[in-house]
Amino acid sequence: MTVMKTSMRNFFAHKGRMALSAVAVLLSVAFVCGTLVFTDTMNTTFDKLFAATSSDVTVSAKGASDTGATTSDNGRPPVMPASVVGKVRAAAGVKAAEGTVFSTSVTVVNAGKDSMSPSSGAPTIVGSWNSNDARTMKITSGAAPGNSGQIMVDADTADKHHLKLGDELAVISAVGTHTAKISGIADFTVTNPGAAIFYLDTRTAQQALVGQTGVFTNVNVTAAAGVTDPQLKKNVTAELGSAYKVQTAKETADANQKDVESFLSVMKYAMLGFAGIAFLVGIFLIINTFSMLVAQRTREIGLMRAVGSSRGQVNRSVLVEALLLGVVGSVLGVGAGVGIAVGLMKLMGSMGMHLSTSDLTVAWTTPVIGLILGVVVTVLAAYLPARRAGRVSPMAALRDAGAPADARAGRIRALVGLVLTGAGGYSLYLASATEKAKEGSAWLGLGIVLSLIGFVVIGPLLAGAVVRVLGAVLLRMFGPVGRMAERNALRNPRRTGATGAALMIGLALVACLSVVGSSMVASASDQLDKTVGTDFIIQSDSGQRITPQAVKAVKDVPGLARVTEYRTTTADYTTPDGETLKDTDITAADPTYATDLRTKTVAGDLKDAYLPDSMSVHDKFAKAHGIRLGSKIAVKFKDGRTAHLTVRAITSSDGLIDAGSKYTNITTLAKYVPAAKMPLDDLVFATAKDGRQDAAYTALKSALHDYPQYTVRDQTDYKQALKDQIGQLLNLIYGLLALAIIVAVLGVVNTLALSVVERTREIGLMRAIGLSRRQLRRMIRMESVVIALFGALLGLGLGMGWGATAQKLLALQGLKVLEIPWPTIIGVFVGSAFVGLFAALIPAFRAGRMNVLNAIATD
Amino acid sequence: MTSAVTIPRHGGTGGRTAVAARARQVVKAYGAGETRVVALDHVDVDIARGQFTAIMGPSGSGKSTLMHCLAGLDTVTSGQIHLDDTEITGLKDKKLTKLRRDRIGFIFQAFNLLPTLNALENITLPMDIAGRKPDKEWLRRVVETVGLADRLKHRPTQLSGGQQQRVAVARALAARPEIIFGDEPTGNLDSRAGAEVLGFLRRSVDELGQTIVMVTHDPVAASYADRVLYLADGRIVDEMFKPTADTVLDRMKDFDARGRTS
Repeated sequence: MTVMKTSMRNFFAHKGRMALSAVAVLLSVAFVCGTLVFTDTMNTTFDKLFAATSSDVTVSAKGASDTGATTSDNGRPPVMPASVVGKVRAAAGVKAAEGTVFSTSVTVVNAGKDSMSPSSGAPTIVGSWNSNDARTMKITSGAAPGNSGQIMVDADTADKHHLKLGDELAVISAVGTHTAKISGIADFTVTNPGAAIFYLDTRTAQQALVGQTGVFTNVNVTAAAGVTDPQLKKNVTAELGSAYKVQTAKETADANQKDVESFLSVMKYAMLGFAGIAFLVGIFLIINTFSMLVAQRTREIGLMRAVGSSRGQVNRSVLVEALLLGVVGSVLGVGAGVGIAVGLMKLMGSMGMHLSTSDLTVAWTTPVIGLILGVVVTVLAAYLPARRAGRVSPMAALRDAGAPADARAGRIRALVGLVLTGAGGYSLYLASATEKAKEGSAWLGLGIVLSLIGFVVIGPLLAGAVVRVLGAVLLRMFGPVGRMAERNALRNPRRTGATGAALMIGLALVACLSVVGSSMVASASDQLDKTVGTDFIIQSDSGQRITPQAVKAVKDVPGLARVTEYRTTTADYTTPDGETLKDTDITAADPTYATDLRTKTVAGDLKDAYLPDSMSVHDKFAKAHGIRLGSKIAVKFKDGRTAHLTVRAITSSDGLIDAGSKYTNITTLAKYVPAAKMPLDDLVFATAKDGRQDAAYTALKSALHDYPQYTVRDQTDYKQALKDQIGQLLNLIYGLLALAIIVAVLGVVNTLALSVVERTREIGLMRAIGLSRRQLRRMIRMESVVIALFGALLGLGLGMGWGATAQKLLALQGLKVLEIPWPTIIGVFVGSAFVGLFAALIPAFRAGRMNVLNAIATD
Repeated sequence: MTSAVTIPRHGGTGGRTAVAARARQVVKAYGAGETRVVALDHVDVDIARGQFTAIMGPSGSGKSTLMHCLAGLDTVTSGQIHLDDTEITGLKDKKLTKLRRDRIGFIFQAFNLLPTLNALENITLPMDIAGRKPDKEWLRRVVETVGLADRLKHRPTQLSGGQQQRVAVARALAARPEIIFGDEPTGNLDSRAGAEVLGFLRRSVDELGQTIVMVTHDPVAASYADRVLYLADGRIVDEMFKPTADTVLDRMKDFDARGRTS
């Protein structure tokens, strides 16, 4: 009981000193709980949406996916004849059946040719207004579309794009462009997470989306009273046979949910990963806090031991304090987590994904996980300092404590650290030298973990050397104040090491990713320069295929030497080794593609692959399946017949662009796939006549003005887009790593604040003999800067090592160029100095405010 | 008797007044109303230049407070304190810090040295902070006087208590301050080490012309001084010139007895 009492008293007596550790625990726990609450809420939202929007039983055409998604390669949704509706109605237990038409392969633009599609990546859906949708939507103004000149839009989209009744919208599909005026605006009665939805009347929807009347994409079936969905499904299936896909509401919802969940779980685990890093960094902070508290209390602990406390009791009293800290931090963290989730929902809202706080889902597991995680991590982190406290001898009570003795980093530590770092370095070397990607990633992973731990272990030793160098370079110019700052940073290498290591972790990841990212951009640019022989690339940034109308618009542009179409589909291959490969990709392109992309061949001439009934395969594929020049492969095209294609070229498997593609001529594809099922172009390449590049670029842009879903880019812009894309991804990751870095900065603040408390007498002495407040503050700021730069130096070095190794490994996949982003690296280094200055603000201010007399008098 | 003012004499110290520091009607009070405690009660005192002054008194008499106020470490409630011709009461922190740095030396009872600096660095610290170069010849003389020539590269933890205090004395002397304040500088030392340190202080007055004010409750320490001031209840109650340990002790016994009978 006494243990508990002293722990409680200590905890509350030092609550100020514990505050930053509690914040670290709080932040990490909050991030975990926030992620869980947010993803759970997203799941709830989609659950509700799918449950509400699915009819009792849905019949869809055979080619449709389980989610009822109505997309296909040829840009037209798979359909069934209208007669199916009649058949369904004849089935037992059917109360009502209604045919509907939907497509997601559409783009809707306003009169100014601006796309109405959501920027969040949510789909754009155009469909026929039907009674099933009428259940979940309420027309808030105007009326449902009644003729071909009318269209209805969902309220969120109308809001976002300032659409009002009477505005003109154009629906662009593979069939053509259909123009209509807004007749009504409808609002969801459930939460719509962000899809843009447009309704036409049934007949117009058929014409605009499929190009023919008398067909439906889905039949929504309503069950009669007392008929269950599975029973209804059975009845409908009995009536229709197996020619159509029949799903209950639950099956449709589940299929939809699965789609969303796979995306959400990627997001969830990525975010939890970053929370894990923050926890790791937090551990350093907690270890430092308890080490310093124990050191400051050495005399007190010695007294406890002298009057008869056992080691275990002292040990436990520290752990109980950690437990209290963990509980306080975690409880607050769970609360803050809900706040973070709400914040994320608001953020999503600003990006066009509307989530309702009424759906906020806090599963009972969330606070439990948060609490357990927070408490366990805190107690574990406090274990080492607690053990050290237990080892304090009773003699410590009698000794003049003063400042704690400079804990000399032991030889064992040095040895262990060197061995770990060495092993890590060797693993990284193996990773960079290997020829096998899989093996290499294992070495890389091991190397990263080992070198990180190694650096953490020898951190205190490195602190000595690095701080001296930094001191010599930076601090000496500040004279005696700089010298004292350097000495202060050096006096407890373990503390400096741990504080720097916390910052090191986050910055190492930043450096590693920035090296990989810029190497990616550099490699891709390099290869673009070397292999791409075309001027312009036309593609949709949302992954839509290019409609024939748009392709025609491109071809009509004057001043072009050639236009190459490029489309991918899948086929079942039967290779000479007798194997059948299901759903394997094949690329059909115009023969000019061999000029547009100068892919290296290991055998044959790539141009020959575009001869009738010919194709090319890549080297690895050829080797795996015993294919040589002249081999014949039976290729059964999706939605088409089987072709026997002769292999006339074998391309290199290396490279970043289009490596591993198997090419054939579009005309060959057309021979075996009926025109109605012919996939649309994924990409179109255009090459200007000599000297007319600029004019052609402008002309292409204006030709595609009517199709805002497609972008034309010349090589420069393409590289920039690539760079932007990778840059965006990196920024997102940096944003998430910011959490870990914030915790690390708190660690620097914490170390300084506790050091200032610890050095109260010293500060008093220096003030008494004439150190001015400014000099004192500068001294603390410089100590902080040195610690931050130490962490940055280690982190950036380590991270660049990891990044370079990763690049060497990825070179196997075509990442040939290593580019170190020096501006980023130097920026981070300089930024760290400012972080150090910032971290020292409060500790320096408090030190400056200390009363000289009290400081001298402090025992 | 609340005054210990000596008649100003003009000595031969370069035209400076013979008084290094003087306090006039200094009051230092803590708290207010019922809980008001007066630590210094209208104290007048002159510290003669080139002399070794000891301030004595029982615990709580205000002797440390008086020293802190004279040294510009603490503020006064009312009254004036002059260091030479400079009035230090009312000075802002910046000026006070500069004053302490350039014109005053300190020796505390304990924790006089920065653990991160070696002995020499500790000695030159006030000048380093000020950005002044130490006078090499003077520094050598000071170091020799305190007998630390072979210990200059040692860190404080590698020095004995007596050696640490000698470093502190050297630091106080090295910058040639107008006045050195000592707060029980020998309180933590055994009698031999204490005698050593006091001997240095005495010699620095005699040979170097240093002005020293020292707070102590040890009659032996006080006997090294030229003059002893006695404080009780925040007032100066007595003074003695050319004290010896015995006379000081007798005087204190006297006070004690008076305190008991009154």
